[in-house]
Amino acid sequence: MSSLRLLESVDRARLLVTVGSGGVGKTTTAAALALLAARRGRKTLVLTIDPARRLLQALGLDGADCPPNTPLPVLPRLHQQLLPADGSAAYGLVAPEHTSLDAMMLDPTLGAEQMVERLLPNPALREEVLGNRIYRALLPALGASPDLVALELLAELHRRDQYELIVLDTPPTHNTAEFLQAGQTFAHFINEQVLKWFAKVPARDESRRPGFFSRGSVAAMGVLGRLFGSEVLPDIAQFFRSFRDVMPAMRARSEATDALLRSPATRFVAVTAPGETSLREARHMLALLQREGLPFAGFVVNRVLVLPQALGDEARVQAIAASLVARLERTGMEPLVASHLAARLCDGASKLRDLHLADAAHVRSLRTMLSLPSFLSIVPQLEHDIHTLPELCDLGARMVQGCDTPAANAPAPAGASRPSAAAAGAG
Amino acid sequence: MAGVFDRSVLLVTGKGGVGKSTVAASLARRAQADGKRVLLIEFESVSRMAPLFGLQEAPLEPVRLDKGLDLMGFDLLEALHGFAGDQLKVRALAKLALANKVVRGFFLAMPAIRSILFLYHLQRLEATHGPRGDRRWDLMICDMPTSGFVAGLFGVPAMVRMIFRVGPLAEVAESMSQLLFDPLRLGVVLVTLPEEMPVVETIELRHELRRRHGVDVAAIVVNGLYPELVDGDELAALSAVVAEPGLSSDDRHAAEQLLWAAEVMRGRAARARRVLPDLEHIAGETLVALPHLFRRKLHLDSIDALAARWRPDQRSAALRPRPPAGAVEVRP
Repeated sequence: MSSLRLLESVDRARLLVTVGSGGVGKTTTAAALALLAARRGRKTLVLTIDPARRLLQALGLDGADCPPNTPLPVLPRLHQQLLPADGSAAYGLVAPEHTSLDAMMLDPTLGAEQMVERLLPNPALREEVLGNRIYRALLPALGASPDLVALELLAELHRRDQYELIVLDTPPTHNTAEFLQAGQTFAHFINEQVLKWFAKVPARDESRRPGFFSRGSVAAMGVLGRLFGSEVLPDIAQFFRSFRDVMPAMRARSEATDALLRSPATRFVAVTAPGETSLREARHMLALLQREGLPFAGFVVNRVLVLPQALGDEARVQAIAASLVARLERTGMEPLVASHLAARLCDGASKLRDLHLADAAHVRSLRTMLSLPSFLSIVPQLEHDIHTLPELCDLGARMVQGCDTPAANAPAPAGASRPSAAAAGAG
Repeated sequence: MAGVFDRSVLLVTGKGGVGKSTVAASLARRAQADGKRVLLIEFESVSRMAPLFGLQEAPLEPVRLDKGLDLMGFDLLEALHGFAGDQLKVRALAKLALANKVVRGFFLAMPAIRSILFLYHLQRLEATHGPRGDRRWDLMICDMPTSGFVAGLFGVPAMVRMIFRVGPLAEVAESMSQLLFDPLRLGVVLVTLPEEMPVVETIELRHELRRRHGVDVAAIVVNGLYPELVDGDELAALSAVVAEPGLSSDDRHAAEQLLWAAEVMRGRAARARRVLPDLEHIAGETLVALPHLFRRKLHLDSIDALAARWRPDQRSAALRPRPPAGAVEVRP
């Protein structure tokens, strides 16, 4: 049932945003969803931030001829990689002219410069900001926290309206709440009120600005002077004054981004992986999306250990191991050696079973958080990194299948024989 | 060579999901067991350590968990109040100024504010004195956010100096820089999983810290090693006896699944073996390998089992003189 909901998001949404804590496979999930959408006939862009090298290679974004912040077509590469076996499969069920997938990697520092260029169309003013000592000092910091730059680029891409679907991989940020509020946060940093504090600071070549000081701005100046040192205030004031004329345009953009995130055509996909912390973060994430009124589509749970049925039953594992010992002895193996080997075999199975029980409990907890019509897609742990586009295609197919995985839906196979262990793992 | 535990601050970092918190906790428990007074600082809003000691959240101020082990959570707003209080000399004045939504919003929105306030508090906590006049903590262990944030920290003093050439913040930048770039006082511990992608990124980060900031990492921890339970010859012997006639189809199926499990365990151990030489090559004696716990939930007994893996004289990277002030590269 719930795979319909996943496919509905892929087929209908204008914006898919993958959210989740670091290390859960968020970027890979975003790329796989985008590829899935393109192969189902939608002109798609995936915007990724700081992806792993392997994924860059898979998407073809790792070469020297691949400038950042520039969309690059992906499907022709997939076409080549599938040749000669079945090149036409690259385009899924769609004619090549009816679909496309572009991938873009965000370089936040470059993005910050491009953002200033878009915001400040006046060349003189732009030169003033770009040459400002404070702006130049802040640039690496903007690069280190790409939230604002990513949101700004997203809004710009949406405005250009070249794609049917944009898949946004959110940056490895401190938390998702901060990312979603980056536009508003920036509006706290540069706004009319803050400008007012600095408006009365004399420039370096002036002695004193005439005019009245409001009580608020006197207090603010006093505090700012003591915090920053009065010597640097003129430079800081100059920095803020550069933004004076573009303030309304900036606010309009920030509001547009906010509206885009809340649009009914936007879907948030929460990506998670087994583990106590991930589970707590997933709960926080869901609460955040609900509180902010952001449209939630479903969970993708990566790296779940799916165990073959027989291994869930410890007694059965022991019995099978015993029969293997007997057979090994018949081949001439020392009884002690054979039983030692069987014990290690059982040990391995039991370790995997422990992980599996914890993962099954994790999935059940996620399920209790969900209300219809959300999807819950269970993706098994892969035994290798994703290197190629065909592997990424395969991952997308697994995500669709994973919505209906019985191992995830049904109680853990070992639940019948070890109910207490399964229940204990649920915490 | 200086030991990992000889410093006063350890920043524990790595990609998401590699077990930073577990490793930070194991370092803290080890130092505590060796008689040190330890402060564990958690950065994430969801505390890992607090629940193990019956607390809901990490406290905003250091709170004693156990003899020789204190815990605090880093909170941005709290840190901002502390900083403003120190600078304005009067805490009430800072409180009044920050009660204004615009003022508070402005400061919290400043780029890199989290890094600046974290470093500010770190050097302040390091200088905190105990009741006997000596330092309150021998070792502060910070469970940091992902590695990008930590790499960014080393650029903060240069950035602050570039903006505030003189004045109170320039002085703060100077003492931050003294702490960050003194390998006798501060060390970075990089945590990775024994998988290709995180290992490559760890090696790159180590290189980046050295090249851009002149910082040597104190230790690299490879976490979550699978045990080598069954080797290839044994698997071959097992497969041969499973293939022999005489097993019911149900039993054969179950036996194949058992071999599948052994294969998975062996595959993951082998995957680790392939990437370990690269790490050993660059990290040498500073490489520490910790076993997989086969638990998804943190328990104090498993943390203590890992803590026992750390040697009190754990080797650390060779010390290098600190770079000249302002050696940090700032891209124009």
